[in-house]
Amino acid sequence: MTPLFRSFAMFIRQISRDSMLYAVCIAPLFAALFFRFGIPYLEARLCGYFNLPAILAEYYLLFDLFLAILTPFLFCFASSMVILTETDENMSGYLAVTPVGKKGYLVSRLVFPALISLFASVILLSLFSLTLWPLPLMLAVCFLASLFSILVSLLVVSFSHNRVEGMAVSKISGIMMFGLLVPFFIFSDIQYLFSVLPSFWIAKLCYDRDYLSILPALLTSFLWIGILYRRFEKKLT
Amino acid sequence: MISVKNLQFSYTKAAFIEDVSFEVTPGEIFGFLGPSGAGKSTLQKILTGLLTDYSGNVTVNGEEAKTRKNSFYENIGVDFEFPSLYEKLTAYENLKFFASLYKKQRDIPTLLTSVGLINDADKKVSDYSKGMKSRLNFIKALLHDPALLFLDEPTSGLDPSNSRVMKDLILSEKKAGKTIILTTHNMFDATELCDRVAFIVDGKIRALDTPHHLIMSKGASKIVYTYIENGKECSAEISMSQTSGDKHLMQLIQNNQLLSIHSGEPTLNDIFVELTGRQLQ
Repeated sequence: MTPLFRSFAMFIRQISRDSMLYAVCIAPLFAALFFRFGIPYLEARLCGYFNLPAILAEYYLLFDLFLAILTPFLFCFASSMVILTETDENMSGYLAVTPVGKKGYLVSRLVFPALISLFASVILLSLFSLTLWPLPLMLAVCFLASLFSILVSLLVVSFSHNRVEGMAVSKISGIMMFGLLVPFFIFSDIQYLFSVLPSFWIAKLCYDRDYLSILPALLTSFLWIGILYRRFEKKLT
Repeated sequence: MISVKNLQFSYTKAAFIEDVSFEVTPGEIFGFLGPSGAGKSTLQKILTGLLTDYSGNVTVNGEEAKTRKNSFYENIGVDFEFPSLYEKLTAYENLKFFASLYKKQRDIPTLLTSVGLINDADKKVSDYSKGMKSRLNFIKALLHDPALLFLDEPTSGLDPSNSRVMKDLILSEKKAGKTIILTTHNMFDATELCDRVAFIVDGKIRALDTPHHLIMSKGASKIVYTYIENGKECSAEISMSQTSGDKHLMQLIQNNQLLSIHSGEPTLNDIFVELTGRQLQ
């Protein structure tokens, strides 16, 4: 395990030396503060202005969901940028021929950050959520969100060759988050057109409180991860 | 040290590496020689366990490459053609990090001294010249004192002085008992450094022997001489083995009429072209 942890320590070192990535990693905290205090304040102002009992309050769960997914998404964005820099410097391929290995490299660059983001999103959600979350639901959603962020990271590193392309692909990969909105705004069976997106099932899990949604969420996540991993693996050799 | 039997590999449906078999003994410098795209780097990737989707047997340090564990890399060192270093870190920080990945570690200052980089150890790699990066990259592969070294085009893009430094480093590692797999398309490097070379073309080994045997078996040494005849400069070429039988040459020597005389033998490149019909460079 030592080479894996050494490789992860190098990952942390690179983030700490890159001001942009450092900012990205602490951004979820500011987002959480805004969601917790900014949105209720806006709600009060909007309701007063339009003289309505509630406008944004109906979507507080959706804001919480965004917060749950934002933390791993940003952590894994930082991972993607580090991986792309290392690919540029031929480091990804080199670490694959050290005791870190090909899989170990990806574990230290994607799985470890996703695990940290899982804890971070549980803490942020516990402290700053707008709605009440039962602990099992919170853990399930944060776990699925972390898995989803690995998928997004693999998407970015598989389809880009450098950081500039990576940032562009990251923006496009935001489409993968679109599934979060579907259960909140599309009520007919048409919503199942989005069933290939893990984010759709994460939102279904929260919206319907149906724990069975965990299964398709896991299935679609692993399917995407499998396909994208094979593509990225070719880049490592 | 390395045993390859009936190796087949393909990236697509068409075969890329076909029926390759060879053995490398401990302490040997074994060269893969071939033009770009011949399959040299693919072969190296298979030997280093990066490509595992092959058929046949590839045993490296007693371990089958496709089922290798990560500890497999404790005993091999790889120096890729392009430097793989953290540009924002210093040379010392780079080496310290890579050394930390292995159980066995060599003394970093000693290694830096051996390649003349000790005074630049605290300089960021991004401030290094190409030659400095190549030397640093080379000692990075030696950090864990591996028994087997894979070197991919180690002198590529280096000026003659840095190229000489690199070749001396390779020879000193051989002297220290290392087995070295050298991938190159530089025939001069191969002739100078390798104990044996394999000519690789279109994923197949076309010839495998010592550079000396390959040169001697396919092309005899020749003599070219020039002289004046009827007021014009003429030249003639004969095989070295027929020197005493060339009466015209003997006569020219006796009469001190030779303008020049040169002996020469074919290069590895000539042999490569003759055997494969392809150019190395």
